Amino acid sequence: MDSRETIKYLCSLSKLEITEEELVKYELQIEGIIKYLDKLDSMTLSDIEPIFQERNSYLLREDNAKSSRTDLLEYTINKEGRFIKGARIT
Amino acid sequence: MSKLYELSANEVNARIRGGEFTAEEYIHQILERIDKVNPKVNAVVCTDRKGALEKARLVDKKIREDEKIGPLAGIAVGIKDNICTRDLKTTCASKMLQEYISPYDATVVRRLKDDDAIIIGKLNLDEFAMGSSTEFSSFGPTSNPWNTDYVAGGSSGGSAASVAASECPVSLGSDTGGSIRCPASFCSVVGLKPTYGHVSRFGLIPYANSLEQIGPIGKTVSDVVMIMKTIAGADDKDQTVQVTYRTPDYTLSSNEKMRIGLVRELTEGAEPEISKQIYSAMDLFTNLDCECEEISMDYVEYALSSYYTIAMAEASSNLSRYDNIRYGFNFAPDGYEWNAYFAKVRSNFGDEVKRRIIVGTYVLSSAYYGKYYLKAQKIRTMLKQELRSLFKKYDILIAPTMPILPFKFGEKIDDPIKMFMIDIDTVIANLAGVPAITVPAGFSNDLPIGLQIIAGEFQEQKLFNAASLFESKTNIDRNPEL
Amino acid sequence: MNQENEKYPSVKIGLEIHCQLTCLQSKLFCSCFCNYHGLEPNRNICPICCGHPGTLPLLNKAAVEAACMVSLALDCKVPDNITFYRKNYFYQDLPKNFQLTQYNAYGITSIGVDGRLDYGEKTSRIRRIQLEEDPGRLVYESGGVDFSSSYTLIDYNRAGISLVEIVTEPDFTDPKDVRIFLNKITSIIEHLGVCNTKRQGSVRCDANISIQGGKRVEIKNVGSFKEVEKALNYEIARQKTMSMHDIKVLAETRDWDDARKVTKQSRAKEEEQDYRYFPEPDLPTIVLDEEYVSSMRMKMPELPYERKNRFTANYELSEHIAQVLIDNKELADFFESAVKIYSSPKEIANWMVTEILRYTDEDIMEPKINSSSISTQSFSSFAGLKIEAKHVAELAELIDKNIINRNTAKIILTQIIKTGEMPSHVLARTEVLKIEDKVIISDAVESVFKTENSAVRDAKNNPNVANFLLGKVMKITKGRADPKITLNLIKIKLDGLN
Repeated sequence: MDSRETIKYLCSLSKLEITEEELVKYELQIEGIIKYLDKLDSMTLSDIEPIFQERNSYLLREDNAKSSRTDLLEYTINKEGRFIKGARIT
Repeated sequence: MSKLYELSANEVNARIRGGEFTAEEYIHQILERIDKVNPKVNAVVCTDRKGALEKARLVDKKIREDEKIGPLAGIAVGIKDNICTRDLKTTCASKMLQEYISPYDATVVRRLKDDDAIIIGKLNLDEFAMGSSTEFSSFGPTSNPWNTDYVAGGSSGGSAASVAASECPVSLGSDTGGSIRCPASFCSVVGLKPTYGHVSRFGLIPYANSLEQIGPIGKTVSDVVMIMKTIAGADDKDQTVQVTYRTPDYTLSSNEKMRIGLVRELTEGAEPEISKQIYSAMDLFTNLDCECEEISMDYVEYALSSYYTIAMAEASSNLSRYDNIRYGFNFAPDGYEWNAYFAKVRSNFGDEVKRRIIVGTYVLSSAYYGKYYLKAQKIRTMLKQELRSLFKKYDILIAPTMPILPFKFGEKIDDPIKMFMIDIDTVIANLAGVPAITVPAGFSNDLPIGLQIIAGEFQEQKLFNAASLFESKTNIDRNPEL
Repeated sequence: MNQENEKYPSVKIGLEIHCQLTCLQSKLFCSCFCNYHGLEPNRNICPICCGHPGTLPLLNKAAVEAACMVSLALDCKVPDNITFYRKNYFYQDLPKNFQLTQYNAYGITSIGVDGRLDYGEKTSRIRRIQLEEDPGRLVYESGGVDFSSSYTLIDYNRAGISLVEIVTEPDFTDPKDVRIFLNKITSIIEHLGVCNTKRQGSVRCDANISIQGGKRVEIKNVGSFKEVEKALNYEIARQKTMSMHDIKVLAETRDWDDARKVTKQSRAKEEEQDYRYFPEPDLPTIVLDEEYVSSMRMKMPELPYERKNRFTANYELSEHIAQVLIDNKELADFFESAVKIYSSPKEIANWMVTEILRYTDEDIMEPKINSSSISTQSFSSFAGLKIEAKHVAELAELIDKNIINRNTAKIILTQIIKTGEMPSHVLARTEVLKIEDKVIISDAVESVFKTENSAVRDAKNNPNVANFLLGKVMKITKGRADPKITLNLIKIKLDGLN
């Protein structure tokens, strides 16, 4: 695995900006972690199906609507009128 | 009356009801205690003086006017700073949420408030609960009250240290891979990770949501049980809560004859002093007419890699929402292209968080999903099944809580794998979703050792029985000198 | 069939239809209102749909029911359990920077699979049907869709609205078929009552197309079903031209530019994204047992084909007429209301299909599917027309009773559509029509008897008086009185006087 390139790609996928120094620092550490996780390879579990939590369809939320008590815009710093401000598209 | 901060939660509640002192008096002493010792331990990161005193006066007023008061009336409680409170900031010890005030209270917080507990502040943690030593916090590390050169454990370091230091008799922490039990063990207090699906996670800012639970920490088992009764139970705001009852009905009977299994791999894998304590514990139980035997678990060796795969995968996705658009800190998006803005905002995560996001993204990518994430979930299933069959034979399993004694600051911080390895005893309960508790078991070199007791799903009662039995027969110090 | 193959050599078209479940009360995972039209931006949001830290998705029971019904209506298999996955990608309209959906790259966990829908002689297979959440809405500084603004404005009112996505196999070979199919699906959805398809933005359709085994092009941003047909025709022409010149067609996403009637490369370029799907840990797998599925079947409103069968059986309508009615639920509902008032189904149906249909806007009957604007309007086929079921019912009654003939009825209809008057009312005041009302004629006879006193007195001796009086009545009623009835009344009155 080309660590540097891979890490850069993963950072762009997860929108993380890291400095050159951080890249250098993380490279070995991340390689080490992934190598440790490779331990999972030593098991072949093709016929096991993972069990996940289940819930019956009757036990879901009733379809009732209500307005929020608080105006969430009060928790937003960047806004214009009633719109929330985001960065430009291109 | 003085040194009220030394009282257990049960005692505080009983005596306030009995009129021996007022809640306000009590809270004043708690606040003084925090002022005195917190500079040494850095467990409390935000003290709510005003709110706590206001609530205390309210409780006193209710008592004076003979109104009904809640079962936790007057008790000071600290809340780990990744659990949402609407009156206080919730920062997750991260620059990303340094200004964040939640628009709502977590369910557990609301329940504590409804039962008249008094929330005194927020407690330190590793950033976004990722860590085992509370060294990765934007507030600086939390020290172990037994020896401030040593770590308090993590990620709920503040929760455990504050209780050990008598800054509050009980606190709430969260446990994803050992984050309650590790610091509780390191600080010689009692800490419980409930069954997955027992306590509502609404308001717990997630690190790894299929693994974690909020749980109580206290100096005694009965204090832990008292808090559990309030916070546990059905909640329509969390569809992963699996119980239908609202208030669990725990009792503390220490008279049961239990069938106990000691997990060999975990016990033998610990430092010798720790192994010794655990074997002593087994002897103690045997002498109390319990049937004890050593057992072996097949999937233990894969537990850590399975845990970290799943945890980091979920973390990488849970943390995606932090883009400073809907909430966050003061940094305007004007002029930035959105990819660059997001990346810049997210550079505010600490090193450990960034590493986990990167690895988490890696293991979820389509090329590797089968190799890591899916495999890890399968191993988790095997572990779950293994435990289910063990719990048909045994009431509880015992093991060390931690494989090592508390360590000094900086010892493990540069080597992630070294840090991961200390979770080996605790991750199993999270992977399988079963409850586990740690009780103080002894000391070595004046550093605490914890005994971990594990039970089957929703068998917290068995944990409480065993833990309180052990507690009553040993008499391990819970009060460090500060 | 052969002719089509020549026209569109190995064209494969598949569709992805997104349908908002507008008939629910709340959003998919929180209790915010499903109907946010007309609200100010960011008034219909809560910590859950805005992705505040620590919030958890709470799955809407009725949404699962609605999606289940859609699956059953399209003949899909409903699995024993369904799971939600996270589709991880970043975008400013996505509050959590992942979308909760049933689709994932690893297996089928959606609420419907392997269905089919017949339309005319043809069939299209449905690959899957799934529930997912809608994102918020981006608006640019300048107000329009201008990508050069220095910041973006975001409104999350729509974030978290329930969507049902219907994905077909690439079974279509002719854009015309696509349009017919889309209308058919819309009719079904309307009949199920899960979505008001005429509300702007409630139904969106993307298409993907490949020719002669070439690369697949996805077409997005199409505003209506008519435009889907146009866009596909354009794309077929574009790709054929390219292959004639030996230019390779790229696998890409293209937006439909309705103003210029072309497809162009999408500005919002999504690179081959790795969405890192994994099951949503905050939602358990939902178990749908047999009892549940059968209760959904029972609960389902009458489907179009069932209604059509009922129309042909009970009302004895022809296949063709029944089809036209049920293709637009509003028409079918109108028809049945009218029949309830006056039971003359064939007559009424005829009127609806031949006359009334002409007045409704064909364009309005198809959903407007441009998703970027919001509007409070819900388009009705009868918008601007004042006609109601009671009018058509009475019209049919008048015809049945021979009071008016069909030509007259057509004229009355033009009036009704403008004024909303009842046909009998129009009849009474206009001058074109036969009067058969005995009361009205009696009045006319009365007044004639008064003015023609001498003639009346002569009647005993003169048998022609009756005819003379008839003439006078016809004069004052401007020739509209029914002669037979009038003569009869005159004779009775004359007899009475003697």
